[in-house]
Amino acid sequence: MTWREHLRNLALLGACGIALGILPPALSVYLRSFVLFTMMYVVLALSWNIISGFTGYTSFGHVAFYGIGAYACAILVADYGWFWIPALGVCAAVAALVGVAIGYPVLRLKGPYFAIAMLGAAEGTRVVATVWDSLTHGGLGISLPSAETSMETYYAMLALMLLTIVVAYAVGHSRFGVRLNAIREDEGAAEALGINATLYKLAAFVLSAVFPAVAGGIQAYKVLYIDPPSVFFVQITIAMALMSMLGGKGTVIGPILGAVLLYTAQELTWVNFPTAHLIAYGLFIVLVARFMPRGLMGFAIDRSWVRKGMVH
Amino acid sequence: MGPSADEIALEARDLRKAFGGVRAVDGCSFVVPHRKISGLIGPNGSGKTTTFNLLTGLATPDSGQVIYKGENLAGLKPYEIFRKGITRTFQITRIFREMTVLENMLSVTGLRVPDRVARERAAELIAFVNLGHLRAEYGGRLSYGQQKLLEFARALMTDPDLILLDEPAAGVNRTLLQHLLEHIHRLQEQGKTIVIVEHDMNVIMNHCDRIFVMDYGVKIAEGPPAEIQRDARVLEAYFGRRRRPEDAGRPPGAPRMG
Repeated sequence: MTWREHLRNLALLGACGIALGILPPALSVYLRSFVLFTMMYVVLALSWNIISGFTGYTSFGHVAFYGIGAYACAILVADYGWFWIPALGVCAAVAALVGVAIGYPVLRLKGPYFAIAMLGAAEGTRVVATVWDSLTHGGLGISLPSAETSMETYYAMLALMLLTIVVAYAVGHSRFGVRLNAIREDEGAAEALGINATLYKLAAFVLSAVFPAVAGGIQAYKVLYIDPPSVFFVQITIAMALMSMLGGKGTVIGPILGAVLLYTAQELTWVNFPTAHLIAYGLFIVLVARFMPRGLMGFAIDRSWVRKGMVH
Repeated sequence: MGPSADEIALEARDLRKAFGGVRAVDGCSFVVPHRKISGLIGPNGSGKTTTFNLLTGLATPDSGQVIYKGENLAGLKPYEIFRKGITRTFQITRIFREMTVLENMLSVTGLRVPDRVARERAAELIAFVNLGHLRAEYGGRLSYGQQKLLEFARALMTDPDLILLDEPAAGVNRTLLQHLLEHIHRLQEQGKTIVIVEHDMNVIMNHCDRIFVMDYGVKIAEGPPAEIQRDARVLEAYFGRRRRPEDAGRPPGAPRMG
């Protein structure tokens, strides 16, 4: 891909950023929060995609990092009186450290074993959050002092989303990203071509842990109350995976499209078919899996609407 | 009288590797001559591919040494061995199926060059193996022969010193094979050392300077092609033992008793 194309894409992203930046005053409180959560799911799906889409290690436990971020922010703001924005930096740092600690052993496993180990790791962090009373207040959860206008968190999430997109794009279109793809396709052959798979996988894993943690921190400050079941909710991991797969794993546009479409679909079915929304939602997923097994981007690539590969 | 140190590219000393009860490589030693094309042959299951795996770190030897540039490589990781200048292809191709031809080429590490130079080199090599028109196609969509060529081109990305080719001729059409063999000779002229595992005896006998023959995990013979073609142990390993007077009356292939 040429510099011209990269610049065009960056300009496009900038335009979206400006549009989303001037939007809030025109939105109702409900819609503002809807857009915020859509942007949050873009962050989550894109992050999940770095380790699971680019690198092929399907994680069923990525909510762990989201929960850790939510707790780091809530504890610093509620118990230590921090201002919330610097607390988000701590969210990222803690997630990176925990990412190394979990990733180093667990990334030795492959396929379903890795997926299940990550499910266990997420449950483990939830249990720690529940029983470590002195730090997390256990099952009581944490209430944050109310100080927010619903604008601040909106702009924070917008900034985080733009940063995540830029990072995911840079990774996807670099030789680093190509090597992550090589690990996904055939780890043994990748190592025989000089790729230190252990190191590359760990780097991808840590990258994919940091952004969800910051998203969790912003979300905690927005909803003002967190407890273990709400921020270590398995459904959040499932959403990350489904959104990436709907849009097309291993691409940059795919998870963004998937997050926007699926979160919107979820909200619409919930609003319009309150009694049957899970059935409608489930049917939607079954249809996508049947007719677009490689997601929207895979569907487009197979029809040559989009070029194959990330690096051209 | 053995070859002197600067004539040796790589030396395997008493390599052993067992998988469960199967001793795939069972005390194999050989010296790969520097800047020459060597062939490694032997019946199916004689331990050729396992030997390649031991040399490149894809399998760790139970014992023995692999001496390369004065250093023992046994026990190093594949990517460490690769970065010392040894590269390989696989018997059953291991190209990256859901990556384009160009991406396959660019995935290789160890090129300390800017992106632009890496791309130019990739483009040159892709064109050389006649895959230029397929650079944006998925590796998995190529024919088997084309995948072999892609793997060969990919192995050359870093300008390695020692190139191990596991059955490069299998599934490649004759014209392309000729082209590939010419390139192998050109690499040799540039000072590279090449080792080929191959069942195609035309390739082995006409293009190798030295041949190693393996059977049951050990080297049973070694020499220039003309010598190997006459070697009784080699013929026996490939075709079985010549029928002897005491075998008279038994159908061919029947087990010998005692």
